[in-house]
Amino acid sequence: MHFVLQLIFAGVCVGAVYALIAMGLSLTFWTTRTLNFGQGSLLMTASVGTVAMLGAGMPAAVAVPLGVLLAGGLMVIAERIAIRPLLKAGDSMGWVVSTLGLGIFLQGFVSTVFGSQAIAFPSLVFDSMDFVDLAGVQVSSQYLAVLGLSLTLMVAMELFLRRSAWGRAVRAVSHDADAAALAGIPVRRVIVLSFVASGVLAGIAGVMVAQITGTVDPGFGFNLMVLGFVAAVFGGMGNTAGALVGGIALGVIEKLVGGYVSTAAEHGMAFAILMVILAIRPQGLFGRKEFTKV
Amino acid sequence: MRNSLTFLTRTPVVAALLVALGVAAEFASGSTVQIWSFLLVNILLAQSINVLTGVAGQISLGHAGFLGIGAYGSALLMKNLGLPLPLALVAGAGMGGAGGWLLSFAAGRVREFYLAMMTLGFGMIFYEVVREWTSLTGGVVGLSGVPSPGLRTLTLFGWRIDPVAYFQITLAVVAGVVWLLRNFITSPYGRAFFAIHVSEVAAGSIGVARAATKRNAYTLSAALAGLAGGFYAHLVGYLGPETFGLHRSVEALVMAVVGGLGTLTGPILGAVVFTYLPEKLQVFAEYQFMVYGLILLLSFVLLPRGLAGLLLPRPRFSKDVEALPPPPPAHRAAAGTGPLLSAEGVSISFLGLRALDNASVTLGAGEILGLVGPNGSGKSTLVNIISGIYRPTDGKVSFDGGILTGLPDHAVARRGVLRTFQDPRLVPSFTVRENVLLGGHRLYRQNPLAASLNLPGALREDAEMLGRAEAILAMAGLSHLADTPVRDLPYGDQRMTELSRVILANPRLVMLDEPAAGLSEGELHKLGGLVRHLKEQGVGVILIEHHMDFLNELVDRVVVLDSGRVIYQGAMAGMYRDPAVVAAYLGTETHPGETVHA
Amino acid sequence: MPENTGLDIQGLEVRYGPVQAVRGVSLRAEPGTITAILGANGAGKSSLMKAISGLAPVAAGSIRLDGEDITRLSPHERARRGLSHALEGRRLFHRMSVEENLRVAWDFRNRGGSFKAVADRVYDQFPMLTARRDTPAGMLSGGQQQMVILSAALIHEPRYLLLDEPSLGLAPVIVQQIFGFIESVCRERRTTILLCEQVAAIALRVAHAGCVLRRGQVVRSGEAADLAADPTLSAAYLGG
Repeated sequence: MHFVLQLIFAGVCVGAVYALIAMGLSLTFWTTRTLNFGQGSLLMTASVGTVAMLGAGMPAAVAVPLGVLLAGGLMVIAERIAIRPLLKAGDSMGWVVSTLGLGIFLQGFVSTVFGSQAIAFPSLVFDSMDFVDLAGVQVSSQYLAVLGLSLTLMVAMELFLRRSAWGRAVRAVSHDADAAALAGIPVRRVIVLSFVASGVLAGIAGVMVAQITGTVDPGFGFNLMVLGFVAAVFGGMGNTAGALVGGIALGVIEKLVGGYVSTAAEHGMAFAILMVILAIRPQGLFGRKEFTKV
Repeated sequence: MRNSLTFLTRTPVVAALLVALGVAAEFASGSTVQIWSFLLVNILLAQSINVLTGVAGQISLGHAGFLGIGAYGSALLMKNLGLPLPLALVAGAGMGGAGGWLLSFAAGRVREFYLAMMTLGFGMIFYEVVREWTSLTGGVVGLSGVPSPGLRTLTLFGWRIDPVAYFQITLAVVAGVVWLLRNFITSPYGRAFFAIHVSEVAAGSIGVARAATKRNAYTLSAALAGLAGGFYAHLVGYLGPETFGLHRSVEALVMAVVGGLGTLTGPILGAVVFTYLPEKLQVFAEYQFMVYGLILLLSFVLLPRGLAGLLLPRPRFSKDVEALPPPPPAHRAAAGTGPLLSAEGVSISFLGLRALDNASVTLGAGEILGLVGPNGSGKSTLVNIISGIYRPTDGKVSFDGGILTGLPDHAVARRGVLRTFQDPRLVPSFTVRENVLLGGHRLYRQNPLAASLNLPGALREDAEMLGRAEAILAMAGLSHLADTPVRDLPYGDQRMTELSRVILANPRLVMLDEPAAGLSEGELHKLGGLVRHLKEQGVGVILIEHHMDFLNELVDRVVVLDSGRVIYQGAMAGMYRDPAVVAAYLGTETHPGETVHA
Repeated sequence: MPENTGLDIQGLEVRYGPVQAVRGVSLRAEPGTITAILGANGAGKSSLMKAISGLAPVAAGSIRLDGEDITRLSPHERARRGLSHALEGRRLFHRMSVEENLRVAWDFRNRGGSFKAVADRVYDQFPMLTARRDTPAGMLSGGQQQMVILSAALIHEPRYLLLDEPSLGLAPVIVQQIFGFIESVCRERRTTILLCEQVAAIALRVAHAGCVLRRGQVVRSGEAADLAADPTLSAAYLGG
């Protein structure tokens, strides 16, 4: 019984991290109707950069924020060189290929500079051996911290989108960019902002996952991005709550499959779920069908 | 440069090159022949992804999965069951094709990045399955002992095949496949792939069934990749899961994109570049991933049409046949009793807004009906309902004794109900003539095999269709532009091309959505001539139009819509005096003194 | 604050790829007046409006607002200079509430002041919106949506207001109410209004001046009263 609870708890925690990545992917999807296939590699580059800065003796309080900002900055570059020029060209495939290319380039770059082996990511706050006793159940402090931070960030995102002028601007641009421009909203800057926010969320998620796994390698971001996308599709790419529910559902399923079937099947299962959802309900489990006029 | 290389695509030159390559292999070193064989496998793989992504417009990030299905399938059938090489290769291709067919049911429902993600997922699942299914595939250790010419373990009809013979066999098969592909792509089936690529709605409007067409594209593409996989498996004699990971899918895509999507020569050029560059430049190999990434990142911006677009002339999308004179127009059976078309009590709502409210319209054969009304009154919605794009919540549409309501758009088109769009929806890279030929889709009787083999019956049908197309082009005044890609043409010529496409389809009912918009006076005159020609042929015509002078000269009757309701039916002259019409256009009758009368 | 000298358009051309939507249109809107832009569907009215507010590409010609050339400014920069544009087809933010729609319109042209006071004034103006302030705008009736659009467009008391087909798809009684409001805005706030309408009689009833577009060109312009009495007007619509 405890085994099930532990699996579910671990699933909720990693699922909350997936939700952050899903939220980031959704933000840029809303403002540009594109999906950044390089997101995973950007996230990985930021995590590896953080490790490098820590290795150079920089205190964590500086290195981690710098790494997260690096993710945001890279996203701005991605928007500028891999998305904006391709959207102008108007071909629906162009940006898929170019963002994928950017991701592969970064992955190749990191492999060349740091090698393709896993690099140890030092524990920042809690060690993986720290536990707290929660109603008689031993709970990993690390997982608890990850859950707490993820939920806090998701609430902050929701508040940002509902209560701040720039957050409302992001929503307005995603509804109708022309009407938003007429309301005085600087649409280009809002799009860049959505990419920065997406990168920051992904960057934080990357550091948290690295805390749990203890290592980073050039391929780890890609898997995370795919999981984030599955979570986003699960939730319908519509709002914060959808991303959170989708992420947690995915995390729990993944851990249960890993615990009872095989850890090797975890990823295959995520992809299988993705394909089934897309085939049955392309608009996501909680999404609304977009009305398209001929 | 473009024209100086044209000779490379001529049939005798190609045949001579192939023979020369086959002979040269006898004298080349072992490693050279090995690379040439790899090149052939890459050409097949690049052609495969090109059929799906370049021609049919369905992006694939999981093509290594199909390659792997063919490779493991062919290798295991030969190694474990002792199937002879040709059967194993065909079975591998068949298994790949079956995989593509199955995937198309899921993938056919999604588009763009959802499709990208789904195909990526397919590739990843295949990779994981190969890794984990150790008893069958050998898992991460790999599968060795596959019959291979390099180990002298491959036999064909008792004859031991050496690497040179293997290369020659592969060369012959690849040349044959590319020839078949060329014939297929220039056939109505190939043009249907392009039509789906550019606009699924427009493809449906000429009778292309989108789900079936996508399914064909997936199956064909995956079968080609499976064949490539089979040849690969026997070439190397060892299979490991790492060969079929994401990077292989990306490599396939890169070859096709850099070579030039949508052409036959492009994937060959791309395969040459990407087979030789990493092999020749050792230093390149280390940075291979980075270089791939950069190429993908920049290729769409720097080389939008790939190497083929840069080096070679524009490919053809129709067969090089001599046009046969068009047959005399078939005598149409007189329409039975009752009207040709009747829409009865049609209603539909969008987002709570009633776009059509109990609208009824009838039309006889050879009658021209003007459909007018203010912006948002429901004219286009009515046309969309008749053509099967929308399904009405109430009412029914019958045509020539049958019911259209509930039929998908391509089935409506196949019955002879054709339409144009407010914005001309053509294949931009096609010439005027090729776009017009698309309209014949519902009339072709040839099967895909006959089309791919260039059988006489198929070529004769192509020649007849071409003859009819030439006659229509002449009538529309487009003959001098027949070989110009439509993307280079002004709006008016594009509209006339779209109308010509409709006429080639031998329609019984034609609906034109604002055909006069953006036309010059001269073009208006030609448009009027074509509409009258349709009338003389006994075709019923519905014209949505705001250009009243233009309508006045053509129509037998008008129907005026306002807020989704029919407010006037009858002669055009009566419309100007009808208070409801004047009110709808010029203002409500609440202040009669200010209403302007004609 | 620049002097209020009106809107001046010279030789404006708008092209979308191969399509020329507006061909050499020149027109002037005097400060504090309503100018009706009339014409049938596809005559180029919306394209002209969009070129003025910055959404449509200007191929040639110039647009001057209070003497300043704004032809090359982005839409949000024009909005901040006191130009407001209510799009055709009830384009508001459907999934956002009524209040959020007003708020979005307020945020980025904010020159100080209290949003609450402004919102309260909107609810005074259109009491039927008060109960629906937290309802997603997409759920409102057509008339209510038009009220939200007008209120949002006017939330900063712009000196220039472009209105595209405000009567589209509305019941006559609502149209009367909306046009009454438009007239009062011009009279009380001295707002310069450009009004696009297919329904000529309603527009000319409130307008001071007007012009008729046909196939992207001005075919007739003058005082509203003269236009209303002109028999060629109906020809421009119905071609008769």
